[in-house]
Amino acid sequence: MTDEIDDELWDDDEDTQKDKYLTFHLAAEDYGLDIACITEIIGIQKITVVPNMPPFIKGVINLRGKVVPIMDIRCRFEIEEREYDDRTCIIIADIKGTAVGLIVDQVNEVIDIPEERIEPPPESGGKSYSRYISGMGKVENKVKILLDINTLLFDEDIDQLDENNSKR
Amino acid sequence: MADQNNNEQLEIIHEFINETRDIINDLEPTIIGMEEMTGQDLTDDDKETLNGVFRLFHSVKGGAGFLNFGQLVQCTHTAENLLDQLRNGELALSAEHVDLLCQSCDFTKEALDYIEEYGDDSGITEAANNLMARFKTAASDPAEPTPTTSPRSDELIIDLETPVQQLISAEDRQKFVYENSTIIKRIETNLINDNKKTAPKAMAKAVLTDITLFHENCHFLAFSELDKLTGIIMLVLEKSNNHKNILQRALNFIRELIEVFQESLDNILQYGIGHVYGLKMYIELFNNLLPPDAQIEVHTPPARLGEILIKEGIVKNEDIEQALSSQGRPIGEILVDKGLASREQVNKAVNFQKKLRPLTGKSAGCSKVPKRQEIRVDLEKLDNLINLIGEIVIAENMVIHSPDLHNLELDNFNKAAGHLSKIVRELQEMAMIIRMLPISGLFRRMMRLVRDLSRKSGKKVELQLEGEDTEVDKTVIEKITDPLVHLIRNSIDHGIGTPEERAAAGKPESGILRLEARHEEGEVQITISDDGRGMDRKRLIAKAMDKGLIEGDGSQLSDDEALQLIFKPGFSTAEQITDISGRGVGMDVVRKNLEDIKGRVEVASKLGVGTTITLHIPLTLAIIDGMLIRVGGCRYIIPILSIRESFKPDPSAITITPDGQELVRVRNNLLPVLRLHKIHNIEPDSRRFEDGILIILESREDNICLFVDELLGQQQTVIKSLSQYIGRQGEVSGVSGCTILSDGEVCLILDVQALVE
Repeated sequence: MTDEIDDELWDDDEDTQKDKYLTFHLAAEDYGLDIACITEIIGIQKITVVPNMPPFIKGVINLRGKVVPIMDIRCRFEIEEREYDDRTCIIIADIKGTAVGLIVDQVNEVIDIPEERIEPPPESGGKSYSRYISGMGKVENKVKILLDINTLLFDEDIDQLDENNSKR
Repeated sequence: MADQNNNEQLEIIHEFINETRDIINDLEPTIIGMEEMTGQDLTDDDKETLNGVFRLFHSVKGGAGFLNFGQLVQCTHTAENLLDQLRNGELALSAEHVDLLCQSCDFTKEALDYIEEYGDDSGITEAANNLMARFKTAASDPAEPTPTTSPRSDELIIDLETPVQQLISAEDRQKFVYENSTIIKRIETNLINDNKKTAPKAMAKAVLTDITLFHENCHFLAFSELDKLTGIIMLVLEKSNNHKNILQRALNFIRELIEVFQESLDNILQYGIGHVYGLKMYIELFNNLLPPDAQIEVHTPPARLGEILIKEGIVKNEDIEQALSSQGRPIGEILVDKGLASREQVNKAVNFQKKLRPLTGKSAGCSKVPKRQEIRVDLEKLDNLINLIGEIVIAENMVIHSPDLHNLELDNFNKAAGHLSKIVRELQEMAMIIRMLPISGLFRRMMRLVRDLSRKSGKKVELQLEGEDTEVDKTVIEKITDPLVHLIRNSIDHGIGTPEERAAAGKPESGILRLEARHEEGEVQITISDDGRGMDRKRLIAKAMDKGLIEGDGSQLSDDEALQLIFKPGFSTAEQITDISGRGVGMDVVRKNLEDIKGRVEVASKLGVGTTITLHIPLTLAIIDGMLIRVGGCRYIIPILSIRESFKPDPSAITITPDGQELVRVRNNLLPVLRLHKIHNIEPDSRRFEDGILIILESREDNICLFVDELLGQQQTVIKSLSQYIGRQGEVSGVSGCTILSDGEVCLILDVQALVE
């Protein structure tokens, strides 16, 4: 029964959230994330370091009692790190019940990018970050790099996480 | 609308499944208790027990009938038949009967599982038929099962004069009244709000559901007048399903009866007697609505003691009247006193009266375990609540220690803050005990296990339980079930000998297995002790050598070390592998399970006297006592249980081996030193031993020293798991989880076991 309701809500959301992207600034570029998976944006706060993590996992924070791991997008793209300042934000994304925070330089706004204005990601060989890109959104005469949150966070198949969840 | 009905139905089925599981859990120990009655005449107490079992089966049947689970109805009905025959002395209770009843419990459990999965019980027909066949051979005169909701309701006559209801506690009565008031209110709302819009048929269906519930409740607590009235209403609603006019009339009557019901419930609450004024009239009213062939004969029950006596011609009506006018004592006694009837005659009548009400209220038989009033809550909601309370604690800390308040004189604020802190602390304590359950459920499950095992192995075992009301975290209970089963199996299979063997050793034939739970030193201790053979040091060592688990001849081992051998993987002492135990996966699994929940196992055994195994279990898995430590800018929690001592080292006590391993001499031991800042790559305050502090950590038999900058103090630590996402990114070694400190920062909890290894 609750499932049904959830589904309904979800449908509603989908309609109003379709084609909406949260844009943020990182190094020299503007990026966009589908807002459907974003729950909130918080300012930077003290991060507890967890040992033995890949460099882009900065640690965990306490989000109202929930322990949320934090990923630095700069590190993920191997862009040179910089000091966090008061514009640095953590975008909290929720993928199938797993909350993850993403550190970005600056959050801009939520914009509409209709499907016809999105071009497929550029093809490039070798080790490239284009697999994290779901498309290039053209807004006026600028380009926003739209990120695929699933591959960004998990890289591998998300089904695996699903399995883990159902086991618990 | 159809969907909603479907959901409601599912909800009802779900509730039924849960309730029935509880009932079965109550039933099993009682049934096993019945074994003691075999082979002898039943005392009144025994009969009460039988009644208790009968009643529980009956309520399962009622629910199953209502939900149309035919197989379940048949099974419980046959069980009822058997019990009825036993109760009436038509059959002598034998061990087979107890077996059968146990099997019907098993069957019911299976059926419930099946129903839970598929929504009906049609797929278990074969199992049901098997069981029925066995019942039929056991019962001398198996009656054909009648799949009605409660076939006994019409035959039952229960008198009101000697209040059966005295057996019902005031608490139960209150619960009953409360529950049923809700039902009545629901009927009322249904009838009044929707009268015009809903078709009488649909309305009747809704009302019938509620009335049936009400009826079952009344029936169960033997409020006969309400029972009868609701019974006939049910009948009318069922029979006149296709007559719109009759239904409408019946519904109108019911609406007028709401007040009567309410009044009767009030009476029950106040006096414990559910008298319905004008019962006869109402019953006739409804009876007239029935088609002529379905009408029931309305009669006043001749069940009053006085009336029985008159009928038997023992006393005259006037005598009874007279006696009644001076009543204050049981009528029987008065009549005996007055010489109007002999004691024997009255007793006979009283017995007859008892026979007339085989379904009395709560009885001693099934109330050995005190009933808890409880409501079922989704565990997730509970966890959310507990999380929120944790948040309140942190938020409160942040408010009260807010830097903005520094150096301000705030008398009123401080007073209010103190008050808040106190409430928050209480709230936190409540949150902790909310997840606690008494261990009795687990213990009672063991009764069944012990019985089955002792029958299978031909040994006599008496199970003694103590401390059943000890409360333990729900998760802990789940985790110790398997170890407990293992230990009990071991005790019965290896520990307690056969009756002959025991007799030869000068012990009573039946062995004693004691299961004891208690709170001690902030933990729960569960002791499993038997008075069996005890463990033989020589055999243990021989076995261990045989399996290649130890080197040498084992003579260097202390007795205690020899006992510890049983925890080695691959160790099994049974000469032959039975299907009970002895596959060599016993004790090491027990130990591992306990370590998983931060507990430990202790074993003590004396050859020829018995074995005692003690499980030490933390009160809850959610909280540990932790020591907050600091290295550079990082803080960590170390479980207090693993800390043996801490000290400022003297540089002269440190030795460095050629391969760079630092050792510290503590009294006569050399312990390896682990630098936490090295492991976790932190810049410490100082790398010199004399500036920091060494903590001796203990895990199993190994100790190490951990070098840190500072001890910050002891505190209660709520354990949270690191996000699953973290687990995917890499193996977090040496960290078992995390917690949130009072300033809101996340702090890692060190995994001492991993550090030592």
